[in-house]
Amino acid sequence: MPELLYLVGDRKVFYMIVFDNVSFQYTKEQESLKNIALTINEGEVVLVCGPSGCGKSTLVRCVNGLIPHFYQGRMTGCVTVSGTDASKTTLRKLSKHVGTVFQNPRSQFFNVDTTSELAFGCENFGLLPEDIEQRINSVVNRHDLGKLMDRSIFKLSGGEKQKIACASIAVEPVDIVILDEPSANLDYTGICELQRMIEGWIEDHKTILIAEHRISYLFPYITRALLMNNGEIIKEFTAKEIRSLSEDELQGLGLRAERMQDPTDVKLTADNKKSNGDKMILLNMTYSYKGEKPVFNIPQMEIPMGEIIGITGANGAGKSTFLRCLCGMERSCKAMLKIGNELWNNKMRRRKIYMVMQDVNHQLFTDSVLEEVMISQEAEDKTEALDILETLDLKEYADRHPLSLSGGQKQRVAVASAIASGRSIILFDEPTSGLDYSHMLQVSELLKKLRDNGKTVIIVTHDIELIQNACTVVIPFMQYTTETQKESEV
Amino acid sequence: MEYRLDRNVHSLLDPRTKLLLLFTSSVFVVGNAGEKQMIVFYWILVYLPVFLLFIEKEWKAGFVAIAVYIGSFYAQLALRHDLTALESALALMLYIITKILPTVILARYIVKTTKVSEFLAAMNRLHVTDKLTIPVSVIFRFFPTVVEEAKSINDAMRMRGIEMGAKKATEAVEYRMVPLIASCSIIGEELSAAAMTRGLDVGKKRSCIWNIRFGLFDFIIIALCLSCFIWWGIGRFFI
Repeated sequence: MPELLYLVGDRKVFYMIVFDNVSFQYTKEQESLKNIALTINEGEVVLVCGPSGCGKSTLVRCVNGLIPHFYQGRMTGCVTVSGTDASKTTLRKLSKHVGTVFQNPRSQFFNVDTTSELAFGCENFGLLPEDIEQRINSVVNRHDLGKLMDRSIFKLSGGEKQKIACASIAVEPVDIVILDEPSANLDYTGICELQRMIEGWIEDHKTILIAEHRISYLFPYITRALLMNNGEIIKEFTAKEIRSLSEDELQGLGLRAERMQDPTDVKLTADNKKSNGDKMILLNMTYSYKGEKPVFNIPQMEIPMGEIIGITGANGAGKSTFLRCLCGMERSCKAMLKIGNELWNNKMRRRKIYMVMQDVNHQLFTDSVLEEVMISQEAEDKTEALDILETLDLKEYADRHPLSLSGGQKQRVAVASAIASGRSIILFDEPTSGLDYSHMLQVSELLKKLRDNGKTVIIVTHDIELIQNACTVVIPFMQYTTETQKESEV
Repeated sequence: MEYRLDRNVHSLLDPRTKLLLLFTSSVFVVGNAGEKQMIVFYWILVYLPVFLLFIEKEWKAGFVAIAVYIGSFYAQLALRHDLTALESALALMLYIITKILPTVILARYIVKTTKVSEFLAAMNRLHVTDKLTIPVSVIFRFFPTVVEEAKSINDAMRMRGIEMGAKKATEAVEYRMVPLIASCSIIGEELSAAAMTRGLDVGKKRSCIWNIRFGLFDFIIIALCLSCFIWWGIGRFFI
């Protein structure tokens, strides 16, 4: 049993998580956690925030036991979770107390259908099937998830996957819930639903630990916030203190300051130098999944050239599919793009439009950064390729393997090959998902640089700060989604 | 509307029956055991997987499978005598297709219709150690992931103009494998971490919410499989 702390009426309250001077290193060179001392009581909601690489994910991994049981490294000090020393017990025993929702929903499901996924944790603990059935029914009805049951995980949108991930933890009888950057792939409505989940856990007196850099949506719930940098807790805020910080102060700490708001009412601040007013016109784009009604229908869309265009809309509205159709990857979509007097069909658009995908790993193929750029050129030209790398601060990595670089660097390599291809229209699918403030600014600068070079940049995103910083035009996607789609969102 | 979980949802066959059928199909269709003597069973086992697909309402996959099978069967019959080197290579390929296709379709049917949890429970009842069944269930889970990743990579290659028949056609295979292996290994690691934080471990008793039991069709299929082996045994040892 955990150590008794104090009594509130008849309820006993315990120390749930205790870090006693904990340090951890994944590799010899770099210390990821330095002398962490921390006590979290039962029923607290604690936010761990800080820029990318500050050690917040490492900290929560110490609580769910992945450190030291799964990720190897050198650990000193002692983490006590629910009264037991985390390093001396097993992951399985810890998992009865701690449930984790991970950042990337694509890799946290063990089952292929949603219903089994909700049951998975309880089945592993050997609970009676009748009890599990009851738990599932109550969670599904409480959060109105009936529509998502008995579906294939692979047919869900990112936001729906995250909902199932949260629900599957809610079914388990755990005391501690850990959320590791849960909002990275969520839009405004997705975040609202995440909030309902958190409210449910608070009602059930769970202890909640959240690692995040988008923080404002958590303000109503947290009891305190810990700010980390370089593996240390550098400051502790009460809920009231962190709420009173201004946007500039939060951004100075490397945090996302955006207030929760609908992306359609965003005011653009990017300086809007007049472009020459040329437009391309997209004609007759419609897309439907096999045997279903169309997801969206665009009879005609005017897209200004030489601008940074933000396409905004809810999760699952078909924005990513729109980009795939726009660059000619969906065979079933027979749209035309009119530029000047030319009409581009699918095949021509595949040759003329470049897309930087959300998961950049999928589009880097070769052994070296330089080669990656050179295969995109019409005729291979090493000096030109090196020049392009120079402008994107990648010259020193020319001989590195692209997959050995960091996420931001990989994205820049993809952009470098886009420039090398000489194509004038570049699409970005969620270029800033999961990025902290300074990395988001870097992407924003990169987009502006592309625009200055005369490229038309089209981005699909729900990152409000990116839209404010970079976009010169916003096109709400909602107007093109078909009626059936709108109903299912409501 | 209130949601109620139905624990009796399952596909036509029990996972144990499916595995027995897969084994039988491997022996008699791929392995061609018994040859002439088994001819009736052979044809039943060849068309049974397509029948199962139709029961799952996979009309398109079923008809494509039949068309490919019949096409390659008659083509390889036609290519029997006086062949050039190229033709005999083609004939060999077609012959291999007719041998392997039915079992591949059966395997696809099994992967698509069996829940991971059902599979683990069924294997547990057969007293198969979970040191074997958990890794196998991970492989089950991984098929659709690999297909999904491969599709995205293929899209990226088409977008960048690296296609069969276009520039760099020879490198296209290598370019495909490197990112596929890289992203599958990342997903694999994250997947095992997530499964372990939810209490998956070997050697521990786990429960299963799905009611699995043998039904009429199971007994029919099991009878079919057993008769295959018995008839084959009779042929080998008594005639």
